[in-house]
Amino acid sequence: MNLKKSFLIALLISTIGLTCWEQYWRSQGYYPTLNDEKALWSMHRAKVEKATGTDVVILGSSRAYFDIQLNEWEAETGKKPIQLASTGSSPLPTFNDIVNNTDFTGTVIVGVTPGLLFSTTYPKAMPWERPQAKVNHYHDRTYAQRLNFLLSIPLQKNLAFMSADEEEWADDIDLKALLRRIKMKPRTNNPVVPPFYYFGDVSIDRNMSMTPRTAQDTAFANTIIDVWKFLGAGAPPPDKEATMSFFLKDIEKFKARGGNLIFVRFPSSGGVRIGESQGLPRTEFWDDLVRQANVKSYHFEDYTQFKNLKCPEWSHLSAEDAQYFTTELAKLMLADNIITNSKTN
Amino acid sequence: MLFNSLSFVVFLVIVLALYYSKLFNWTNKKRMLLFASYLFYGLWNPPLVILLWISTVVDWTAGKRLAVEENQRKRKFWLLLSMFVNLGFLAFFKYGDFILENFVVLVNGIGWDFQAQPMDIILPMGISFYTFQTMSYTIDMYKRKIKPARTFLDFALYVTFFPQLVAGPIVRAKDLITQFYEEKRATTNQFVWGVFLLTVGLFQKVVLADTLLSGVADDVFGSSKLLHGIDAWTGTLAFSGQIFFDFAGYSTCAIGIALMLGIILPDNFRYPYASLGFSDLWNRWHISLSSWLRDYLYIPLGGNRHGITRMYVALMLTMLLGGLWHGAAWTFMVWGGLHGTYLILEKLQKQYLPFKITKWNGIFLAFITFSCVNITWVFFRAREFDTAWNMIKSMFYLQTNGEKFLDSFSILKVCVVIGILFLCHWMMRNTSMKELSQKTSPLVLGVVWAILFFLIAIAQGSGEQFIYFQF
Repeated sequence: MNLKKSFLIALLISTIGLTCWEQYWRSQGYYPTLNDEKALWSMHRAKVEKATGTDVVILGSSRAYFDIQLNEWEAETGKKPIQLASTGSSPLPTFNDIVNNTDFTGTVIVGVTPGLLFSTTYPKAMPWERPQAKVNHYHDRTYAQRLNFLLSIPLQKNLAFMSADEEEWADDIDLKALLRRIKMKPRTNNPVVPPFYYFGDVSIDRNMSMTPRTAQDTAFANTIIDVWKFLGAGAPPPDKEATMSFFLKDIEKFKARGGNLIFVRFPSSGGVRIGESQGLPRTEFWDDLVRQANVKSYHFEDYTQFKNLKCPEWSHLSAEDAQYFTTELAKLMLADNIITNSKTN
Repeated sequence: MLFNSLSFVVFLVIVLALYYSKLFNWTNKKRMLLFASYLFYGLWNPPLVILLWISTVVDWTAGKRLAVEENQRKRKFWLLLSMFVNLGFLAFFKYGDFILENFVVLVNGIGWDFQAQPMDIILPMGISFYTFQTMSYTIDMYKRKIKPARTFLDFALYVTFFPQLVAGPIVRAKDLITQFYEEKRATTNQFVWGVFLLTVGLFQKVVLADTLLSGVADDVFGSSKLLHGIDAWTGTLAFSGQIFFDFAGYSTCAIGIALMLGIILPDNFRYPYASLGFSDLWNRWHISLSSWLRDYLYIPLGGNRHGITRMYVALMLTMLLGGLWHGAAWTFMVWGGLHGTYLILEKLQKQYLPFKITKWNGIFLAFITFSCVNITWVFFRAREFDTAWNMIKSMFYLQTNGEKFLDSFSILKVCVVIGILFLCHWMMRNTSMKELSQKTSPLVLGVVWAILFFLIAIAQGSGEQFIYFQF
């Protein structure tokens, strides 16, 4: 047995194999991206512990995530916000964590996506479980997990094939995802979930921006729209009473200690907007929440500069529109004097 | 720290660089290994390193006194002190909530209305492994089977040696401490073989257990539905493969890493799914635990020295406690009880219905054994008896309205992986990976090695914890 020889052969073949693998996926249009994962979220959640009264924390679902661009916000206000919004999530578990486990007294901007915020307080339901898993990870993460994440960043930033995203996108290219692509004759009567493709790039400071392909390729954007249709059709009725009651308790506590809370209703278009207007009418949900919470709020329908914004896949703004939206929103808030202008000049 | 993580890769490279550098003499290398082992453990939860220290100091002191003490009562005191501390840790950290929960049920049952808040005690990683390892030292010292460790450093390193600290193999003092007395360096062949074993172990964990099998097992056992027989069997087979690849993968990594340091750890698995009966199974599955239970529980309970009935009682008690060792739940006791029953039935069969195992009936017998083992895994994996019972009913097609839940590809995938696993175990049952590799050309071995590494790299994994860490 010549183990050294075997080792060298293995090393050579592995190196060639992985280089070809990387090149192949790059030739298919893939490029290195960061995974939007719990570890990244936790890194930013940790910043809240030391945040001051002039800091801004963004909570909410994917709209708050895609539609606020951190660089533009910083350019207007002089300070980069802490982005803690996450996809497919109710903001309630995260807000509850910040209210009850930190002394933060700065500004919290809550993105209100009615279908998610008013959905549920049931811990096992997806809109609750997803953000709660991030909160739990933050509190339970080990030093080894923190180190693993830090070490994985240069790999994720340089290798396209490192794509084992927690979101399990249909076009991920890790082994598990590739196996998921194999379809055989259906055996069950379960509804077939449309493929949900990766459509936003996240950066290390958790700035999420829609991929150019989603904004420019209508056929691709339609695949995302199909997912919204599927999720909308199967969504259970909202639980306004439980969600409002849970949220208002935390709001009172946060306001009582001097915290500044702002609600923002981000744009939606097409079928999603129609569905929201019918299923969760503004007067019944948004207006009632704003009235009971008694906080400053911004609804995109109320501002001429936002009225005509179109979401390519009905729910999120393109990167360019998000930059515009962010700049205008920050200007409005500064003009209303509800956030601090930290710019030195 | 997990073997299947980037931080471990960096950690191992640094440890190996320091170990093979000329910076340190042997004593300082051992100190470095000890420090590295505490770091390895502490990066998970630093305060719990204190438990390791307590266990180390108590058993070192007890061992030292047992080496010189002649007074039998005092000897017994030192033994009991060691057992009290180690089993006390286990009782508090691992079984605290379970004991409390059952106490509440018991007193409520006799009419006393009493409620208690769960203590929510954190389970220190690997506590069942290192407490058993240190206890074996004190018991062997008490029985005068071994000599005391020469230095505290040797003993501390024996308790804490990072490759096998959190999930075994549970190594006896005579097999490990003595290796620390003389300077160890791996030969080139040992080192490269160690790297190969590490690759194989990671392949088992990251690709086979986590990528191919865990999803199906989790989905089936996490389902609240009454399942169709095929789905129940698929989920059980998936778990059967997952737990083997997960645990054997860990042991293979541990053996490989130790070998890279020139330290030899014993085998913990020998192709258990091709066992011919249950005695054979326990000589092949988690060998270091089953031999521990045999030497420190079954034999002290009387073993086969006091007649057949007593032997069966000892056997059953050993398996029940072996089940409880795996987790604080009655389902684990049932798992142990089923294995105890299998062993007793096998002994009865050998006594009253003996038959010769040939190469023709062997594979059939191995298949029967494997199938019976799968039934026990249902109780091991299910968190509730209701889930387990529903699964069993589905598996025996007593569930006429069971729901089809898994897609066709998942079923095919699990059947192919488990089919290959079973056949590989059957073909390898009388040989070893080392022997096979010696018969394989370097080119073929290199290509296989590259494929394993490539699949690990593209599977990536999400740093899933090894199942046995929770035990």
